[in-house]
Amino acid sequence: MRLLKIAYKNLKRKKIRSLLTIGGVSVAVAVLVSLLGFNSGYQLALNNDVDKMGYQVLVTAKGCPYEAATLMLKGGGGMRYMEENVYNRIVQDERIDQITPQLMTTVYNAGKEGGGGFTMYMGILDSYLVLKPWSKFESGSWFSSEDADEVIIGYEAAELEQREVGDMIFIPGKEQILKVVGIFERTGTQDDGVIFMPLKSTQRIFELPNQITGIGIKLKKLSDLMQFEEDLYDEASIQVISMAQVKGTIMGLISSAQILVTSVAIIAIFVAIVGVINTILMSVFERTQEIGVMKAIGASNLDIFQLIWYETIFICLIGGVLGSVMAVLAGNLVEYFVKALLPYAPAGKLIYIDAKLILSTQIGAVVLGLISGVYPAFRAANMRPIEAIRSGE
Amino acid sequence: MKKIILLLLALNFVQIIFGAVGCSLNDPDRDVKRIFPNSTGYKTEYISIESRGGKELATKIEVQLHDVLNPKYEALSVDYSYYTILRGKEMIGRIHGVNQKGIFGGMQLILATDLDGKIIDFFIQKISSPHAKKFRNKEFTKQFIGLTIADFDLFHAQKEGKINKLISPSEKYNDDFKSIVRGLNKNLLLLKYFQFEKEISDKNRQ
Repeated sequence: MRLLKIAYKNLKRKKIRSLLTIGGVSVAVAVLVSLLGFNSGYQLALNNDVDKMGYQVLVTAKGCPYEAATLMLKGGGGMRYMEENVYNRIVQDERIDQITPQLMTTVYNAGKEGGGGFTMYMGILDSYLVLKPWSKFESGSWFSSEDADEVIIGYEAAELEQREVGDMIFIPGKEQILKVVGIFERTGTQDDGVIFMPLKSTQRIFELPNQITGIGIKLKKLSDLMQFEEDLYDEASIQVISMAQVKGTIMGLISSAQILVTSVAIIAIFVAIVGVINTILMSVFERTQEIGVMKAIGASNLDIFQLIWYETIFICLIGGVLGSVMAVLAGNLVEYFVKALLPYAPAGKLIYIDAKLILSTQIGAVVLGLISGVYPAFRAANMRPIEAIRSGE
Repeated sequence: MKKIILLLLALNFVQIIFGAVGCSLNDPDRDVKRIFPNSTGYKTEYISIESRGGKELATKIEVQLHDVLNPKYEALSVDYSYYTILRGKEMIGRIHGVNQKGIFGGMQLILATDLDGKIIDFFIQKISSPHAKKFRNKEFTKQFIGLTIADFDLFHAQKEGKINKLISPSEKYNDDFKSIVRGLNKNLLLLKYFQFEKEISDKNRQ
C-alpha cells in the first residue's frame, strides 16, 4: 500500500509529462474501444436490418444480386423490373410459408429537404404486413381497396413531411395527389422513410403494368432453403438472393475497411507502449540518486521493481478508463461520420459498447502497463546503490 | 477537466442536435451571400421555445398568432435556426426559417430581416404542391418584402393593411397561401421573442 502511495506521488511530481502519457494511452484505448464497438455494432445492426426485412429469400430481376439487395435495403434509383407472372408461378410452391411481391420506385423531388433528393414509393399487398408483424400503425389503417389512391407513410417520412392521417401528398412529375390513410410506428429500419401504396396503384401511377421489383419469401422449413434456391435458378430472367448471402457479402465489404482501421489501432497502441516506456525510463534516470538512497536505506530490488511497475500500471489504468469514457461519450459523433462515409450503413446504432468490452479493454490496459513497465522497472531494480548515489556528482 | 467533459458531452449530443433542428438553410454560404452581398460572415444559433420561456412563451405566441401550435410538429423543443449576418463585426441583418404544414407536405419558409425586423427577402426552400412553381415565383414572394410583425397584428385586429392586399398565386390551393401567411407570422413572432426581447432584456441588465 505504501509503495502504491509513493508511485502515485511520483507521477504527480511531473504532472504534465504524466498527463501527456496518459493522454496517449487514452487515445489509443478510445480508438480500440470504438473499433471493437463498431465490429460488434455493425454486425448487430446489419442482422437487425436484414432480419427486419422479414424474409429469408429475395427474388429480383437479373442483374448484380448485391446491388439489388442493397437497393432493397437502402433504397435508390435504377431498379430492375420483372413480370408479375413470376410471382404468380412461385406462389404455388408448397414449401412457402409467406410470400409478398413489391414494386419499389423512386421519384426525384427537387423540393426535398437538403436541396432535392429521391423519395421512395413501394407498392405492396397486405401479405407485406404478414411478413413484417412488427409494422404496426401509429395512426390510421390499411388501404381501402387494392387500387386506391392512398398511401401509408413510414414514421420518419411522415415526420419530415408533417403528414397526418387524412392529409394529402403530391407526387411531383406524376402530378398525382394521394390521401394518407395510415402512418406506421417507428421500426428502426429503412421502412421508416418509405411511402407505401397499394401494388396496383403503384403500377398504374408509375406506368409499370404487371411489373414488380422483388418478391420476399419466407419458407415453412429453413432446411428447404438450399433446395428452394436451386429450383428457382432454373427460372429465366430472375435471380435468387438469400439474406444470409447478403449479410456475408456486406460484412465482407466492410471487413477490408476494418482491417485498415485495426492496423491504425495497433499502431496507436504500439506508439502508446513506446510512449509509456519512454516516460517511465526518463523518470527512472532522473531519479537515479533517489533510487540509490532508497536502496541504501533498505529498499530491496523487488521493492524498487514494484514501485516502477506500479507507476506504469497507474498510467495505463487511468489512460484505459479515460479512453473508454472518451469512446462512450464520442460514440455518437464517430457514428455520425462513419455513417456518412460507409456505402451502406444499417439503421440503428453502429457502435455498440457494452460492459464486457469496457472490462476487457481495462484488463488489456493493465496488461499493457505490465508489459511496458518490465524494462524500466528492471533497470531501476538493478542499480547499484553507491553508483546510483554518486551518479549525480 | 470540466471543460473536456463538457466538450465530450456536447459531442455525444451532436447527432441529436443535427436531427432535431427544424429549418436550416440548405446552403447557408450561398444564401447569405445572395441576400446580403456585402456581408463578410455569419454566425448560426439554434433556439427553441423551450429554452426561451417554455409553455408561457408558447401561449404568448399562440395568442398573437391567433392559432395553436401543432403539438407534434411545432413542439416546444423544436430548434429554429438563426443566422446573424455580419459585415466585419457589425450586425447587418438576420436570416431565419420555420417549418409550416402545407396541403401536400411540410414547407420551409425562409425570411431575411433587417435589424428592425422588417422583411427584406423571402423564399420558400421546400414545398410540395402541384402549384409549387407559382408559390416559389418571385412575383408572389416579393409581396412580403417590407412587412413587419405590426402588419400581422393589424391583420388580426381586422383592420385594413398590407396583409389583406396580398394576392394568392393559386385559387385552387389557397390553403397553402394561408399556411404561408401563418408561417411568416410565426417566423416574425419567434424573431420578436427570440431576438428582440432578448436584446432589450440584455440592455436593461447592463
